[in-house]
Amino acid sequence: MSSPAAALEVRRLSKRFPPRPGQSESPWVLSDLSFCVGDSEFLTIVGPSGSGKTTLLNILSQVDGASGGEMLFRGESINLASAALNPGLNCHIGYVTQDDNLLPWQTLIDNVTFPLKLQGRLNQESMARMQGLLKAVNLIGFDHYYPHELSGGMRKRASLIRTLAYDPPIILMDEPFGAVDAQTRTQLQQDLLRLWNLGRKTIVFVTHDIGEAIALGDRVLVLSRSPARVIYEHHVAIPRPRDLSNFYKLEGFGDMYETVRKELL
Amino acid sequence: MSAVAESLPFPVPRSRRRWIPYGRIGVALACFALWQFGSYWMGKEWLPGPVATFARIWDLALSAQLFRDSLVTFSEAAAGMILGGVGGAALPFLLRLSPRLLKASEPFLSAAFGVPKLALAPLFILWLGIGIMTKIVFVASIVFFLMFYNGMAGILSVDPRLVAMARVAGASQWQVTRHIVWNTTVPFLFAGLKIALPRAISGAVVGEFIAADSGLGWYINNSRSLNDTVGVLAGVIVVTILVIVVNAVLQRSQARSLAWRPVSRDMVV
Ligand SMILES: Nc1ncnc2c1ncn2[C@@H]1O[C@H](COP(=O)(O)OP(=O)(O)O)[C@@H](O)[C@H]1O
Ligand SMILES: [Mg+2]
Repeated sequence: MSSPAAALEVRRLSKRFPPRPGQSESPWVLSDLSFCVGDSEFLTIVGPSGSGKTTLLNILSQVDGASGGEMLFRGESINLASAALNPGLNCHIGYVTQDDNLLPWQTLIDNVTFPLKLQGRLNQESMARMQGLLKAVNLIGFDHYYPHELSGGMRKRASLIRTLAYDPPIILMDEPFGAVDAQTRTQLQQDLLRLWNLGRKTIVFVTHDIGEAIALGDRVLVLSRSPARVIYEHHVAIPRPRDLSNFYKLEGFGDMYETVRKELL
Repeated sequence: MSAVAESLPFPVPRSRRRWIPYGRIGVALACFALWQFGSYWMGKEWLPGPVATFARIWDLALSAQLFRDSLVTFSEAAAGMILGGVGGAALPFLLRLSPRLLKASEPFLSAAFGVPKLALAPLFILWLGIGIMTKIVFVASIVFFLMFYNGMAGILSVDPRLVAMARVAGASQWQVTRHIVWNTTVPFLFAGLKIALPRAISGAVVGEFIAADSGLGWYINNSRSLNDTVGVLAGVIVVTILVIVVNAVLQRSQARSLAWRPVSRDMVV
């Protein structure tokens, strides 16, 4: 499975949280979890809710430490001990979290340019790029709205382009379209594929939605119930560009959907 | 009118807001009437009426003594506020960087908070004399803890998910403090100021009761020693006005810096 070109690789990753007061041990959330992501690959990971998908991405982004195992970034070993964490790996790994995590005291435009500001990269060029992204996700005209004045879907889109705007080579996404309605979701998925096709970034996309996992990914990993391991792997042969408006009709979709559904039972 | 409505902590329907200013004037008039009545009842040598009191304030204003004493009290309160308030507000930001230091210092801070500052006043006088410095340190010792505990509450309510987001996006420790921790804490610091500013002024006044040769507290205490009840009451009124003015300024800057917060809906109470 591993290859020298892998953008990101994890080997035998395991995680358990500190025991709760009055409890001697807490259960393993991840155990022996291994996979790798190729350069410019769109990898989707599908698992039931509560299986540890968010926990996994928190470890990959180094927001949280691992209990065991290792991670390699472009072949280089990364220390995953809690004391040595380097969140985002110097802006090489972007993370679109499950919650939008917009800053409530900043307007939309200040929120989406926040990483650029932190990195000292806010200039005319990046601002022009930002305008393009705002347009792509239909947020033009809301620049000066505060997050509480936006709908859930708009906030989600804002958090998505906040990460896309600073162009990290690897992007982790945690059910980014979980909380939006069906039509908007299809639109956002289509936008994401288009943006990905333009920049060809490496994406690790986590979801509990089997259809979404197959429709978007080059490769689908199936996670077991807790403790999570990779139990199946599928290469998605559906050619790109894919028309997501009726992906149920795409060649080979139905069979794979049935297979994954049974694997998750 | 809208300024009145916005200063209310709860939403009031537009149709009823119109009456708020009239209601306030009515209540104020009723208070003056009660005051005047109390003055007749108790005798004006015990409780001078509003007319005599405001006449005195007018005299004081003309003789510039009002201005001088107010300025002394205000300066003491302001300097104490800056000394204690900035220190008290800054300490939580430093303690946040070291959970161990926070844990270690906790019992000492609560013990120090428990010491009645009024009881320390004689000590301050011994150290610093009866000049302005004594009152400044006295005010600072009161204000420090009010700002510290409110600042601490703000620090503890920082959303770790926002911190993680910022870190992933490349924020340094300083940028996290500046962008996430500071903005989360500002509303708590305003809540602290709302309590601390009036306390700073009354702290300065009480300090002047004990040892001073000028200031509004000195004026009140001096009037008392001359059995001049009009003077005592006039002094109290001026202190109250000072507090009201300071509060109004605070309210304005708070409204400006917290404009991002969700506005109250026009729901019916
Ligand atoms: N901070 C935490 N402390 C203790 N247990 C946690 C914590 N976060 C998640 N868990 C546990 O880890 C498991 C996986 O959670 P999560 O990664 O959020 O699942 P998913 O994202 O797949 O829905 C759950 O059983 C959850 O209770
Ligand atoms: Mg999750």
